[in-house]
Amino acid sequence: MVALVFRNLLKHPIRSLLTIGSLTIAIFLLCFLRSVVTTLEAGIASADSRRLWVQSAVSLFVDLPTAYQAKIDAVPGVERTCKWQWFGGYYKEPSNFFAQFAVDPDELITIWPEVEVVAGSKEAFANQRNSCMVGEELAQEFGWKVGDQVPIIGALFPRPDGSAYMFDVAAIYRPTRATVDSRTFFFHWKFHAESQEAITGSAPNVGVFVIKVAQDADPTSVMATVDGLFENGPQVVQTTTEAEFNRQFVSMVGNVPKLLSFIGGGVFIAILLACVNTMLMAGREQVRDVGIMKALGFTDGSTFGLLIGQSLALCGLGGGFGILIALGAQVPIATLLGRFFPGFRILPETIFLAIGVTIAVGLLAGIVPGRSASRMRAVDALRRQ
Amino acid sequence: MLVPVSYNLRSLWVRRSSTLLTIIGIGATVAVLAGVLSLQQGFATLFAESGRTDVAIFLRPGATNEGDSAFRKDKAQRLIKTLPEIRSDENEQPLAGMECYVAVRRNRVGGGETNVPVRGVEQRSFDIYGDGIRIVGGRRFKPGADEVIVGAKLSDRIEDCRLGDVIVLNTAPLRVVGIFESDGPFASEIWGDLDRMLNALQRPSPNRVVAQLNDGVDVEELNERVKDDKEVPAKVMTEREYLTSQTSALSGTLLFLGAFLAIVMGTAAVFTATNTMLAAISSRTHEIGILLAAGFRPIPIFLSFLMEALLLGLLGGLVGCLLSLPLNGIETGATNFNTFTEVAFAFRVTPVVLMTAVTFSLVLGLFGGAIPAWRAARMVPVDALRRR
Repeated sequence: MVALVFRNLLKHPIRSLLTIGSLTIAIFLLCFLRSVVTTLEAGIASADSRRLWVQSAVSLFVDLPTAYQAKIDAVPGVERTCKWQWFGGYYKEPSNFFAQFAVDPDELITIWPEVEVVAGSKEAFANQRNSCMVGEELAQEFGWKVGDQVPIIGALFPRPDGSAYMFDVAAIYRPTRATVDSRTFFFHWKFHAESQEAITGSAPNVGVFVIKVAQDADPTSVMATVDGLFENGPQVVQTTTEAEFNRQFVSMVGNVPKLLSFIGGGVFIAILLACVNTMLMAGREQVRDVGIMKALGFTDGSTFGLLIGQSLALCGLGGGFGILIALGAQVPIATLLGRFFPGFRILPETIFLAIGVTIAVGLLAGIVPGRSASRMRAVDALRRQ
Repeated sequence: MLVPVSYNLRSLWVRRSSTLLTIIGIGATVAVLAGVLSLQQGFATLFAESGRTDVAIFLRPGATNEGDSAFRKDKAQRLIKTLPEIRSDENEQPLAGMECYVAVRRNRVGGGETNVPVRGVEQRSFDIYGDGIRIVGGRRFKPGADEVIVGAKLSDRIEDCRLGDVIVLNTAPLRVVGIFESDGPFASEIWGDLDRMLNALQRPSPNRVVAQLNDGVDVEELNERVKDDKEVPAKVMTEREYLTSQTSALSGTLLFLGAFLAIVMGTAAVFTATNTMLAAISSRTHEIGILLAAGFRPIPIFLSFLMEALLLGLLGGLVGCLLSLPLNGIETGATNFNTFTEVAFAFRVTPVVLMTAVTFSLVLGLFGGAIPAWRAARMVPVDALRRR
């Protein structure tokens, strides 16, 4: 029976190949689109519940006074805090876009244990004021090595003569969790503060403070206390868990999941129709075969199985290839998209979803020809040309 | 001699279930492409078409959007008072004003946070934009008062954006006293008095200067002159140029997405079309034998089947266009990646979108039909006639 299924598929090699090909593409696309959504949400899932983010309650683009740090440090339950300031510069060309943050190096190292240094050392980064620690992918993309000097032009914090800020690469890191991506450039807050004071004459503000909550403290009460400290200004703050902070960002990017599921729906319909089409053709051609089988004593169920089997085999092959290609292309895609969209990864759940869709399409496409084959009477089938 | 087209039409009709499935398959592919394109068109035209060419925007040199830009008030005033290119009103006062701009966190109706632009303007801005800002409910805010007016597109999307509501910015409660309409992205903004907004948001200085220009002023020439000015260097562009420049990131992303999907889904659709045409040809082997025996040359036969595939593609394209038409005018919101603020706009199924969709479907038909048509043309009449 299984042999017959494959014989029938091989009878029209081009048609089978083309159907498998379109399924391969569609399942690949489904894996890809779904992974975009899961990657967006990955930061939420792996967030550290002991890290709290203090930001302006008014706007993403409004900074907080540096003096807030000492007040936050004094709140019971706060173990340490780290400044976190978006720098918004670029390397040589504005198109070389990646995130740069001015941070307190010692704090960064302690609060983010998932940042693992693979070249250079954390100490070297912490000890040298004009040094930076960069993500592995970023270092690879621009060919930076420990000890290199990297010029960064400040678009948001320009130097009066438009020249670049110079940084020494002291460490290259690899994140072990999705909370930090491997395309970020960290440098010293003190370096940032001193250079801005020299340019503008006044000390800069801070975008965000990150709190590490002590093991025995309750994050919820810490959040409430910190928010309460500044409820009368000058800048009202909003303290959130890391998961909530990441969720806000995903929400602000807009309805990407909705748009992508709409597209996924279109893909699904298109492949379903392609398979139904192929199976209907196969069903029509095999009328005589079915008649012969029935005349030989095969049951209705087995003729139904013959067509469903073909459909499932086609879809299984196509879906299987699609999943394999998606897995194989994971690294190149991650590299290609890394610039705008770091951390692209295909989750096991996505693979299961793809397998489910493949089987569903296979069953749906096989049902119509399968049923008509099982209902057909041998005499009628044989009579047909 | 060419094979009559009616032959192809009839053949599509005879195999209508298979034809229909292929058409819908191609249609779904085309509809996805058209949907993404109409999203991009709606977004891009909202910005480009509403921008005026006689209004100039002054930014700090190096700034790519108003959020990055800043002018100290005295410097901004100097720009306004000293440039002869700026149009004056009947009282000899320059039609120019300072504006501040901050994207603030707001809650969407129905949950989730987003960024909404707050613009602080002087009363002058109403004279500069003229019909661009139309109050449709309530009134304008009073100078210096804790009042704001809200773009009409926000009322249903963002909390506290209806007439009489109170919006709290930082520690300042601001009453919504008016709703305004605008054809461009202003309709997704909150406007208040410049000084009150600067104060409420604890900002030191305005972000940009806007001005109406005299007739015939060359903006590029003006830019050349003021960009290296010793006192107040500034980057000048028309409002249309400015707004168009604010669409690059999202437009680019959507076009990339559209092209990517078109190639990937298109390949799958070509495979389907090839399958359908192969089946059509194999069941018509006998007929093709008759055509060849009747004296039709291989090339007309090739063209005939290619035509059939093109028809299949065209029908799919039309179905795709029909599927995408209901999208036209549907209001949606997206985050403009250049400013990271949410802007409301409608899908626009423009002629460009439809033309692209139909062209794309024809290309799908062409690729899908090439191999089968070639196969048909190469048949040997005797063998073909022998097959039943």
